Amino acid sequence: MTGTDGGAPAMVSIQDVNKRFGRLEVLKGVTFDVARGEVIVILGPSGSGKSTLLRLVAHLDRLDNGRIYVNGHLVGYEERNGKLRETADRAASRARADVGMVFQRFNLFPHLTALGNVTCAPVNVRGLSRKMAADRGRDLLRQVGLGEKLDAYPSQLSGGQQQRVAIARALAMDPKVMLFDEATSALDPELVGEVLEVMKQLARGGMTMLVVTHEMGFAREVADRVMLMDGGVIVESNTPADFFDHPRHDRTKSFLSKIL
Amino acid sequence: MDDLLYTGFLLAAKFDFDTVRDYLFRDIIIKAAWRTLYISAFAQIIGVAIGIVAAVPRHLRTPGLSQLASFYVWFFRGTPLLLQILFWFSALPLYAPDDFGWWIFQYRHDWLLLSPFQAALVALAVNEGAYMAEIVRAGIESIESGQMDAAKSLGMRNLQAMRLVILPQAFRVIVPPTGNEFNAMLKNSSLASVIAFNELLFTSRGVYARNYQVLELLVVASFWYLVFTTVWTVIQDEIECRMRPDMMRVGLITRIKNGITPPSRLIGGDTGGGR
Repeated sequence: MTGTDGGAPAMVSIQDVNKRFGRLEVLKGVTFDVARGEVIVILGPSGSGKSTLLRLVAHLDRLDNGRIYVNGHLVGYEERNGKLRETADRAASRARADVGMVFQRFNLFPHLTALGNVTCAPVNVRGLSRKMAADRGRDLLRQVGLGEKLDAYPSQLSGGQQQRVAIARALAMDPKVMLFDEATSALDPELVGEVLEVMKQLARGGMTMLVVTHEMGFAREVADRVMLMDGGVIVESNTPADFFDHPRHDRTKSFLSKIL
Repeated sequence: MDDLLYTGFLLAAKFDFDTVRDYLFRDIIIKAAWRTLYISAFAQIIGVAIGIVAAVPRHLRTPGLSQLASFYVWFFRGTPLLLQILFWFSALPLYAPDDFGWWIFQYRHDWLLLSPFQAALVALAVNEGAYMAEIVRAGIESIESGQMDAAKSLGMRNLQAMRLVILPQAFRVIVPPTGNEFNAMLKNSSLASVIAFNELLFTSRGVYARNYQVLELLVVASFWYLVFTTVWTVIQDEIECRMRPDMMRVGLITRIKNGITPPSRLIGGDTGGGR
């Protein structure tokens, strides 16, 4: 069941992770590895902790217990004498740069053009020259099919176009892992396809991806593994074929019966 | 009866437009109006800077700095501006510590003996900073949290995210109330007349103390205050338009500028500038 093959270190290693908001325990000991180049799709009802898990991997929230490693580095914490301490702003931001995240509500920077959105972090965080960042930004926007929209502001783009800019923006930092938090949930149905197409293209290119979605077709077609999350734990984890056609757990069966 | 009517007529006729016309552009008034304008602009700019510096740690909940900023806002919003002007000018020098020198640093007690201009500038700027801190904080808080998430997920540090993502957006929210503040500042600067800073109102009072034409001089002063606030309204609108290039609204100043441009350059496509 582990995604690692032949002892190669996992790209993401999630170990017994707990997270609570006040009295509500959102994650109750989640453990799994994501191998290099693997695509994992996490399904589950809302409130099951999927988004929270992604936010912890991106270190946007702090975890209460357990550890998350990305590319061998502990996320957001440093270990000293067996004790965990939250890393300072500078180190935390460096670690975050290795993880690309795409949000449900796009979260594009409205005061910047499409190209400005894509080049902002490479210039200011990675220290790339403006020219180099712009060249690379144009390439990335062309890759996601927006070569004509370089100078458009987010408010002038459709939802699908905005989300593709957001993907290009995350890719501009050369992340080791890409996280997709319901990236198509806020889109009109006819715009979902163009975003999924870009995500498939990424998966084929060998990107390590952790995808929270409700798109069953995408899960079946692209995922290496599909997981069901419910009540803060991973209920079932399997290959797409087995997950959809021969679910083992009753919870998975009832979830699938409602969705399919 | 006749007498009374006659007197009333005289009183009304006593308002002397010639005096107004005389003084409106007189050197002494123009110079005073100029002082009102620059102390207001200067104090407002410093106030905005103080406001940003005080608002950011409050938003990021930086320990220590956050509490200090809260205290500052509480104190300077909670006491009258007039009192603060008197404090900087009259009280501060009395309690200035004695001279001392330390390593390459020197301090002399008379540095805190401020001129009317200096005291008024400090008072107006520090007071304005407290109000601006609240405006900037409201602006920052109006930006949805997803923006900070996105900035952080791209590896930006707290202050980088503030500078590159949050503040530029917050400024759009901040500009209208800041314009309002500057409008108030233009007029609040007249409080500096109590410490004899010779701005517009102080100077006008000086003139009518000699010629007794009170209303005329007050009208002269009002004229210049209205000129400043009106021009400022146009400038503020222009700034708001330019901050929202995506809104495609064009401000008056840009419209006038484009109007001056020969139409051939607008229609002539890529041959523009071929003069």
